[in-house]
Amino acid sequence: MGLGTMSQEDTGASQGGTPTNSAPQPVIFTGSGAEYFGIWIVNLLLTIVTIGIYSSWAKVRRMQYFYRHTELAGSSFDFHGDPIKIFIGRVIALAMLIAYNFSVRLHSPLTLVVVVAIAIVMPWLLRNSFRFRLYNTSWRGVRFHFRGSVASAYRVFLLNGLLTLITLYVLAPFMHQRLKTYQHNNTWFGRTQCSFHARAGQFYQIYLVLLAGLVIFGIVVGFSRIGGAFIAASNAQKHGAHADPFAVLRALAILYVALIVVAVSIGPIFHALITNLIWRSTRIGEHRIECNMSPLGLLWISVSNLALTVVTLGLFIPWAAVRLAKFQLEAVRLVPAGKLQEFVAAELDKISAVGEETATAFDFDISL
Amino acid sequence: MLTAEYFDGHSTRVRVVNLEADGQFLSIAGEDIERHIPFGEVKVDERLGRAPRRLHFSDGAFCAVRDLRGLDALLSSVAHRDGWVDRLQRRARSALISLVAVVVLAFAGYVWVLPWAVAWAAAKVPAVVSRQLSMETLRALDGNILLPSRIPLHRQQALSAKIRALRLPAGGDPEGELLFRRSLQLGANAFTLPDGTIVILDDLINVIEEDRQILATIAHELGHAHGHHGLQLLLQGSVVGTFLAFYVGDVSSLLAVAPATLVHASYSRKLEEQADAYAATVLRLNGMSPTLLADALKKLADSHRGGGDMGYLSTHPAIDERIRHLRETSR
Repeated sequence: MGLGTMSQEDTGASQGGTPTNSAPQPVIFTGSGAEYFGIWIVNLLLTIVTIGIYSSWAKVRRMQYFYRHTELAGSSFDFHGDPIKIFIGRVIALAMLIAYNFSVRLHSPLTLVVVVAIAIVMPWLLRNSFRFRLYNTSWRGVRFHFRGSVASAYRVFLLNGLLTLITLYVLAPFMHQRLKTYQHNNTWFGRTQCSFHARAGQFYQIYLVLLAGLVIFGIVVGFSRIGGAFIAASNAQKHGAHADPFAVLRALAILYVALIVVAVSIGPIFHALITNLIWRSTRIGEHRIECNMSPLGLLWISVSNLALTVVTLGLFIPWAAVRLAKFQLEAVRLVPAGKLQEFVAAELDKISAVGEETATAFDFDISL
Repeated sequence: MLTAEYFDGHSTRVRVVNLEADGQFLSIAGEDIERHIPFGEVKVDERLGRAPRRLHFSDGAFCAVRDLRGLDALLSSVAHRDGWVDRLQRRARSALISLVAVVVLAFAGYVWVLPWAVAWAAAKVPAVVSRQLSMETLRALDGNILLPSRIPLHRQQALSAKIRALRLPAGGDPEGELLFRRSLQLGANAFTLPDGTIVILDDLINVIEEDRQILATIAHELGHAHGHHGLQLLLQGSVVGTFLAFYVGDVSSLLAVAPATLVHASYSRKLEEQADAYAATVLRLNGMSPTLLADALKKLADSHRGGGDMGYLSTHPAIDERIRHLRETSR
């Protein structure tokens, strides 16, 4: 690295730190697909060789690669997760998955017991998972925290979840709003509390867009469903090779593929709209967040990523992940209420006590 | 001299500092800070791409360095050596070798290791579990895709008796239940459930007609039961699904489910061959020729040619090849 680039980076770094700076701060993502490919493929190999055990270490590296290449006001984020805890979380998640799948497949009387047991521990697990994720995220050496109570987790996940089911998903947008309120209101950056301001009505508006999309797709699929799926099913069979005796079920598989198509096309649009709403409604102390993710832009990124990933048999995955991260992250800007450095200084005296806080033994990441 | 940003771990304040190796100490000097830390207490982060690299100190403070080459020079002057994974991750050559290794391992795993592991595991599944699975499958299909048989009862009983009387290579008689059903969708077919229960469909009996040939197709199904092929497919689907979910999971979790159904297919040809070989052994053991199965397959194939509806052909692949193979082995 030459001297020229160095001094350039220097000014970039000091800009964010200058006390006078109160302009909106864009998030910048500096990762590159080729670079990430090297990391990804080496870790994939190690994961395969260790029959999956190394995947927890690989996950930490992946998180670190993305966090450390994400810069705000000239400084990058960092991820501090302990691979062992991620491993434990994965073992637990896998055990639950196996227990659930087996009991459901077998239709045994145990199914009810397993489902109830999972429903009872799930809110607690998810809450600890939030805690783990945030506690292990830092910016400029100051960590995030999640302070949501266990009781609220049960209310948000279990009670609202049941209400959503009972009302046939009419309450789903409301439940989503409650969940985000629980998550963001209980998020702290050092000693600064975050807050969430979106109303349920705003969630309903975006869910209506989703519903409209699904209805249009349902009509299209409905017209071609019976005939199309079964013609395609018998075509698929002529070409080969399936020992599954229940060939008719293949038609259902095709319907399932149609569902995936729906998810690929409507999913990104919905995701962009809801993400914009969520971040625009979130504040860190007095500082606002702007998020301008273009729904069509995200659709394009998702579809082209999907196509290139399929064509390259997955080799495009690292580039796809970097493209997606760059697009999503760079849609976000922090809008300081005052001068960014001033804010930090004002909070300085309160931060130290929190700095020592450690995650408890039961914190882990359960995402597979 | 190396420029870095210093963070104390308590506040977000950025201090621009200079780093220098001073014997076995790292010296940090800058805006109201002056520290000397033994290199033994400095934890150096991995180098990940072009991200600023961090030097962590035991009190939670750290330095972020953007000049990666400058940092390498400083670290090598105190004989610091990066971890081996760290070094592998940034070399083009190791990426290429890993790529080749991943492809080779994935191929070998799928072609050799997976079938072996799945066959081993399928044989270990407790009988209670496979019994329960079969009952559930049957309950789901009965009255839906499967209807009551219209084959006269005396014919059913005669066929059952003949099948029960078959001697098996391992000794003993066929143990699994034998069920007669009719299906509008599945056509002329027979299939085996995970616990060895064999379901024969009316159309198969009507198309083949000849008892000894029907017996041969049942011997083939007994081969599926003997090898726990139903369970093998189930297990293989789960393993492949899990791997793909992990592999593609980076991009989209929804995507991960789709390919599992696609990969399912070609595996079964090997299982068909195994079941055929088993059937041939059973037939010879009972004084019959394996050509009986070939003849039965021929009838099934002819009854379906041009039809394109779902039947024996759709669930038992590569029928021409199998007929040829059976005729060759029986010579």
